Amino acid sequence: MADSSTMAGFEMAADDCVIVQFEGWDGAMAQFEAQLRRMLDGPLPNEVGETVRHDSWVVIRVAPRRFWLLGDDPLPIRDIDPELGCTLPLGEGRVRLRLFGGVIKHVLERCVAVDWKTLGEGRAVQTGLHRVPILLLRRSAFECDLLVPRSFSKSMTEWIADASTAGP
Amino acid sequence: MLRIECPCCGPRDHDEFRYGGDASVTRPAYDDPDFEAWYRYVFVRENPAGLHREYWQHVVGCRQWLVVERDTRSHTIASIRFARETRA
Amino acid sequence: MRRLAIGGRIDRSQPMEFTFDGRAMTGFRGDTLASALLANGVRLVGRSFKYHRPRGILSAGPEEPNALVTLGTGGRREPNLTATTVELADGLVAESQNRWPSLKFDAQGINGLFAPFLSAGFYYKTFMGPTRRAWMFYEHFIRKAAGFGRAGEEPDPDRYDVRHLFADVAIVGSGPAGLSAALAAGEAGARVVLIEQDFALGGTLLSDPQDSESAAWLSGMLARLAGMPNVSLMTRTTAFGAYDGNVLGLVERHGSGTADPKEGQARQMLLLLRAKSIVYASGALERPLTFANNDRPGIMLASAARIYLNRFAVLTGTRVVVATDNDSAYRAAFDLATAGAEVTIADSRAEPIHDLREQARRRGVAVRTNSLIANALGRRAVRAVSLSEPGGAATVRCDLVAVSGGWSPTVHLTSHFGVKPVYREDIQTFVPGKLGAGRFVAGAVMGGLTTAGAIEQGHRAGVDASAFCGAAKAVQQPVRLELTEIDAGPDDSPLGTSLRPAPLAQLVRGGYGSPAILPELHRPRRSGETSHAKRTRGGDEEGAKLAAGKAFVDIQMDVTTQDIALAHREGYESVEHLKRYTTLGMGTDQGKTSNFYALSAMAGLRGMAVPEVGTTTFRPPYTPVAIGALAGRSIGHHYKPIRRTPMHDWHVANGAQMLEGGLWMRPWFYRTSGRDVNEAYVAEMRMVRETAGLMDISTLGKIDVQGPDAAEFLDRVYANGFARLPVGRARYGIMLRDDGIVFDDGTTTRLGERHFFMTTSTAKAADVMSRLEFLLDTAWPDLRVSVTSVTYEWAAMSVAGPNSRDILAAAFPDLDVSNEALPHMGLLEEQYRDMHLRIIRLSFSGERAYEIYVGASLGNEVWCRLMEAGAPFGLKPYGVEALGALRVEKGHIAGPEIDGRTTLDDLGLSRMVGKRSGYVGEVLERREAFSDPARPRLVGLRCFEPGKQLHAGAILFRPNESLQGHGLGRITSVTYSPALDAWVALGLLAREAAVEGAEIVAASPIIGQAVRARVVSPIFLDPKGERLRG
Repeated sequence: MADSSTMAGFEMAADDCVIVQFEGWDGAMAQFEAQLRRMLDGPLPNEVGETVRHDSWVVIRVAPRRFWLLGDDPLPIRDIDPELGCTLPLGEGRVRLRLFGGVIKHVLERCVAVDWKTLGEGRAVQTGLHRVPILLLRRSAFECDLLVPRSFSKSMTEWIADASTAGP
Repeated sequence: MLRIECPCCGPRDHDEFRYGGDASVTRPAYDDPDFEAWYRYVFVRENPAGLHREYWQHVVGCRQWLVVERDTRSHTIASIRFARETRA
Repeated sequence: MRRLAIGGRIDRSQPMEFTFDGRAMTGFRGDTLASALLANGVRLVGRSFKYHRPRGILSAGPEEPNALVTLGTGGRREPNLTATTVELADGLVAESQNRWPSLKFDAQGINGLFAPFLSAGFYYKTFMGPTRRAWMFYEHFIRKAAGFGRAGEEPDPDRYDVRHLFADVAIVGSGPAGLSAALAAGEAGARVVLIEQDFALGGTLLSDPQDSESAAWLSGMLARLAGMPNVSLMTRTTAFGAYDGNVLGLVERHGSGTADPKEGQARQMLLLLRAKSIVYASGALERPLTFANNDRPGIMLASAARIYLNRFAVLTGTRVVVATDNDSAYRAAFDLATAGAEVTIADSRAEPIHDLREQARRRGVAVRTNSLIANALGRRAVRAVSLSEPGGAATVRCDLVAVSGGWSPTVHLTSHFGVKPVYREDIQTFVPGKLGAGRFVAGAVMGGLTTAGAIEQGHRAGVDASAFCGAAKAVQQPVRLELTEIDAGPDDSPLGTSLRPAPLAQLVRGGYGSPAILPELHRPRRSGETSHAKRTRGGDEEGAKLAAGKAFVDIQMDVTTQDIALAHREGYESVEHLKRYTTLGMGTDQGKTSNFYALSAMAGLRGMAVPEVGTTTFRPPYTPVAIGALAGRSIGHHYKPIRRTPMHDWHVANGAQMLEGGLWMRPWFYRTSGRDVNEAYVAEMRMVRETAGLMDISTLGKIDVQGPDAAEFLDRVYANGFARLPVGRARYGIMLRDDGIVFDDGTTTRLGERHFFMTTSTAKAADVMSRLEFLLDTAWPDLRVSVTSVTYEWAAMSVAGPNSRDILAAAFPDLDVSNEALPHMGLLEEQYRDMHLRIIRLSFSGERAYEIYVGASLGNEVWCRLMEAGAPFGLKPYGVEALGALRVEKGHIAGPEIDGRTTLDDLGLSRMVGKRSGYVGEVLERREAFSDPARPRLVGLRCFEPGKQLHAGAILFRPNESLQGHGLGRITSVTYSPALDAWVALGLLAREAAVEGAEIVAASPIIGQAVRARVVSPIFLDPKGERLRG
């Protein structure tokens, strides 16, 4: 579905990104987080859904013991002590859709069951979009990123573009 | 439409979850050879009309397994905890 | 009937053109289709369901049983819409239903003559023979004769949509209670959504004249609410269902003002509103009265006559009889008289209050007490009523009969959670039961009798609902509505309340209404009985007159009082049986105007109190919802999401016929291999066995398993061992379910001491992932293991065939892919140029094969590189059909063999387990039943009948055995084998019959085939696996 007939002021762009996952073992979380903080030289998000910005990348807590580092450039990763946790690159499997526009709320409420009104900037939500698991990251009042599985990316962009063609 | 409040992701529609069956049964240790214990664990269920402890996994979210206490008559949910915590 | 020159809430400056049954008519913006029809003098709007009796408009709302119309043409055709709720739009095309050739001269009107044979449940008693098939024959005609509108058959060109909404307080209904609740909750700081099914807000207040105090109150409230940014007012939106978790299902209709929506606009939208609390302010519906021929055009609910007058400026009659058993109808009588009609009130009560009689007298309205309508005269339009009074019968000429049998609170939504309504004896009606936390009721829906009360209750509910959500800012006192008497008399007492609380004695027969009064004919007379009905009917002569007409209880489904009595006589006494035997309450109106009468009639027949009879279950939707709205945008191309591999576009561009496998698109076969699938897969099989083939296997489930306890974890989840698998080696593994049945198979490769790469079948990928997480979270939380799905992280392809190694070496010249460096089941993980490659030497086809994994973004590049390097070696792509066929030739089990019923032993794989223990499924795998010799085990079958082929799903029998019953087993997978030039199959055959060399018959009764085959080893080719190694 072409985006020539999308709602006025709505844009969607797709690109690749780098994602690295860090997971700590239950029972060793305090030490794991300490090591991760040292490695990243900065704080970690405390709760699932919270994010922290470090220079050009974002740290997202996606599960009680799991973090994602999201960025554009290769990330400076050193190995985690295997007694504390482990790491895994995940950027190949996902495409980042950047959504922008004054009507973004109208588009999103036709795609995901997320309360845009109460979703703070910098918050991340993992939910389903047309039954596909995605991660939504709110960047500003009218902008958000969607991390969608690469195998579904064409399907997702068509679905979202279709939602954006809705009239008033 | 059940609304299930995941302890770390907040209230979500039930179709974000996968149902995992009865959580009140005790799983024998992985190397327990007791046939009766495994038989009870796999096949025998109380099936109460009332509060039921059951497993749900937040599959499109944090992927954590939860133990939910749901009233099978009214769908009212009394409690939700991480499955890991209930083992402690 | 006529439109008045002034008054009403219509906009006379915006006329609208529409057609009804081809006739061009005009209405105004603000009209419903019904009010416009009435204004145009249309009395006859439909024919009834069974008897095809002429029908007119009964109500002014969604409870309408008669005025069902079809709107639109072609793919936009929508039947069974109530004209009373259709917002008039320019260009509307409407048609009446259930009549042929026309409304006036409907041929099936003669059904009335057959009426004695068409009573309730007639089709259970007639049309029963001569053969069992006969019913299907009769049913064809019965269906054509009975029924409502006809649906469209062309694709719907309109757009529908689904939106997800959130709120603190959701309020259903915009009458005085709902508006007050919205104001209070809004002031308290809650996020409020007010939902109204009408296109105008106000609820019952819209039935008051425009210059009334209530109209002024309404305008004031709407102005205040419009100024509150945290309050959202939704019109044209029906709350059709209340669901667990306080989720409301809403359907919103477009309000473009024209018949069709604007460009890009959805015709209807499904809204899923997730609210923290709900206030039900859905009001009450008026009940009609039951008397002979109470379904004639021109008989209308009293409140409807009032609405058409005050809201739409349509005077629906000039000589009016208002028949009632309560006070509320007096308002209709007075307003009609003020508009110039000649009005007579027939009050069934002995003594209405003095004040009302005074009001009536002052307006020239005659009041007859102890007066019941016995019969309505006139066929296509009522022309008179026959009244039954103590002094005898009386006939009153009229062109409008406005009836009121009391009010039923609209409890439907409150009951959707399974809370049954409760009966209130004092007002003789059902009100909502005890609702759970976060659910509140206000106004007429809870049995409230006055407008002032509704405002108080609404205000209270708004405060409570917002407090429940944690919004507790200070709220002002409610804006009260001081209703004064229209025509103040010496008593100076207020009149303008919906229902006046009357002394208890009168409430028994007044207030919300009284139980149905049945014709006496069917009840055995007991000596000395002086029932109210008998007294007022004055004897047998009246009884005989009564017998001449049908008294309808469910007007839409043509269910009469006689039908209810019949159901009772035949033993269908319970309210659930009554409903289904008579079809009462099963129409599109779901019995909104009939349920209460039916219950009370049955209660009377059974000699029980109404609450003992109970109610049927209210289920969503409250009013019909178009399936298009429920589907939203998930239609056609968007029906489900499509999953594509990284090489998808290459396949499509290179002649692949794609196949849906779950959500994945996979190449089925390539059109370069053959003209159709049967030709192609054989050619592709040959190619793989003789030279080489390239297969896209990106859809396989892939799971990353890491951690200090990863090896221990795999040892427990797989039936065969993995803890001692050397680094750099792969192993085929099988997982069992807890009950010992085989769950899934796959291959796991050890990447490092604490790092494994697991693959699963495509179909079970998600299930396996959840299972692993389940075991870690609930059974073994002490194990330090991380499992992550990486299915779409890696593009994967398999080069298979005798030339595979040469092709791999040609594609990646710098890599050492020799047999020493990369033996069978070995791993090579290398950085090649800027690509990270993972190559595992594995085979599903039985030929030497290599699975190449690379990051998904590079999949296409590596695929093309292999194709190019492989061209001189004859490399071509092959699809899933050939893939499946190749593995059958090699006796590899897959989904059809792992069907949830087979064990390792059945599949001949128990040697994989050896003497291991401590794995999932181990204990229950050892149960007695699994060693039953009758259990089927895996065999190979080879067809030896020339010209015939084997079929999957065939049942296996011994030769000369009768081909009946369960047989000895079944065929699970089938293929033609070009290498053997024979049809071969894998099957499951009872152990006792599974003797190599034995002859077997494979029967497929559905296609009428029986084929002879021989039991052989399931590994049809290269049993020692020599082609795999070296």
